[in-house]
Amino acid sequence: MNTKPSLGDRYAEWAVIVVTVAALLAGWFVMNGVVGRTVPFESDGVSAAAPGGWKESKPAEGELLNVHELGSAGYETTYILSKLPVPQDGGAGTIASLLTLERATALTGYRVLGQREVTINGLEALEVSYVYIESNPDLTHAEIPAVVRGLDYIFVRDGNAVIATYHADQSDYEGGLDRFYRFVESIRF
Amino acid sequence: MPENTCCVCGRPGVHAIGARWFCEEHHKTATHERRSAFGSVLGLIVALVVFVGVVYGLDTALQPVFTASTLLLTGVVLALVPAVVWLAFFYQQDRLEPEPKGHLFSVFVLGALLAAAVGIPLVEDVFNVPDWLYADTMTTILGGILVVGFVQEFLKYAAVRYSVYHSSEFDEATDGVVYATAAGLGYATVLNVMFVVNNGGVDLGAGVIYMAVVAMAQASFAGITGYFLGRAKFESEPLWWMPLGLTLSAAANGLFTWARGEVTRGGGTLSSGPNPWLGLVLAGAVAVVTLGVILALVRRNIKSALAAK
Repeated sequence: MNTKPSLGDRYAEWAVIVVTVAALLAGWFVMNGVVGRTVPFESDGVSAAAPGGWKESKPAEGELLNVHELGSAGYETTYILSKLPVPQDGGAGTIASLLTLERATALTGYRVLGQREVTINGLEALEVSYVYIESNPDLTHAEIPAVVRGLDYIFVRDGNAVIATYHADQSDYEGGLDRFYRFVESIRF
Repeated sequence: MPENTCCVCGRPGVHAIGARWFCEEHHKTATHERRSAFGSVLGLIVALVVFVGVVYGLDTALQPVFTASTLLLTGVVLALVPAVVWLAFFYQQDRLEPEPKGHLFSVFVLGALLAAAVGIPLVEDVFNVPDWLYADTMTTILGGILVVGFVQEFLKYAAVRYSVYHSSEFDEATDGVVYATAAGLGYATVLNVMFVVNNGGVDLGAGVIYMAVVAMAQASFAGITGYFLGRAKFESEPLWWMPLGLTLSAAANGLFTWARGEVTRGGGTLSSGPNPWLGLVLAGAVAVVTLGVILALVRRNIKSALAAK
């Protein structure tokens, strides 16, 4: 009878470790593929590379796209792409004022934190950053309201404004900015 | 391993199973089917279903009002129930041929510690699994197997392989299943406690179903790894044997994560699913089938080992 230790006896522990490490590396690639993935989006003459794997909500009036990230802590990180007609003789500033008035009545604790003109992909845009409080309307829900940071990029061309909006829990806001910038840079109209 | 020495205790071997030698005593134990190994898991499945029914019924009938701290405390106590139930069944059935309580408890604690110190931080913080696992079906299956499955099953394997595996107490064909189940329940207990703590307590009805599902699933998948560990100890197996066992248990783990999300239609979280009971039915079915297959395989192995004596 052969009593020599088999390869399995000698190296089984290492084989298990190697297979586990290989599986985790493959899992890392799957994760990166999903996290960085984008899906092409086009509607009403506006196209963009939308984040892949995010949940799509039914767009509200004036919205072309409304997606939010699953699994965000607290308030779910949201991207909104909207298209609005610009009033005659108006510009990006007019749209920013309209949005501010609308949000100030609809959102709790809404405050504009800053506003400046920027150039993205050769297009002039108005950047508006703001903050508000998101709280569950159900009074029996015992949870602390979330502080939400928001950022708009307002582009105006041919009588229409295209607005890219980013909403995120204040703890996620900074970390998600780079990805939102890539989304904004992908917008074509 | 030196020639013709017992692979369990190192004494001179007098019988062989495959390429492994055994002394008289350990040949008997290696070909012994410990009924309590399977009876206790079957008892756990039945008891958990009854436990869920009782807690759910009491919660619905009495609608108890908890403060935040008592809700948290109640949740943590409920999270410990599956492990206590299994140990109770195991020791009750194991009176005639007792497994050392210290070893079993140590492996349970080791499974729990590895879950808290390595498993949960790796899955939730390094891989950020909640952020992307449920993006689509293929991602759920691949991520469930490659990340969640492999991390959890490797740690349960490690809890047995690097503790009791080389001791002389690991001397029966079913010991792999017994100790791996203990590691699996240790892992499940930490997952359940974390679930309770992270949610600041849980709704008793849905929470107790979640805990039972996690306990049954973790114990079942650990049982697969345990079967392969047992075979690797008592029969000389090829190099791919143990990696295959781990891959199968990881695959079962990942597929279960996906299937549970599908049947509860909650995207993988029972609390958000409209029907968590279906998750319990699925977990019970998976546990019974896994147990049955492992039992049949162990019996077949013992039979062929005795026939070759």
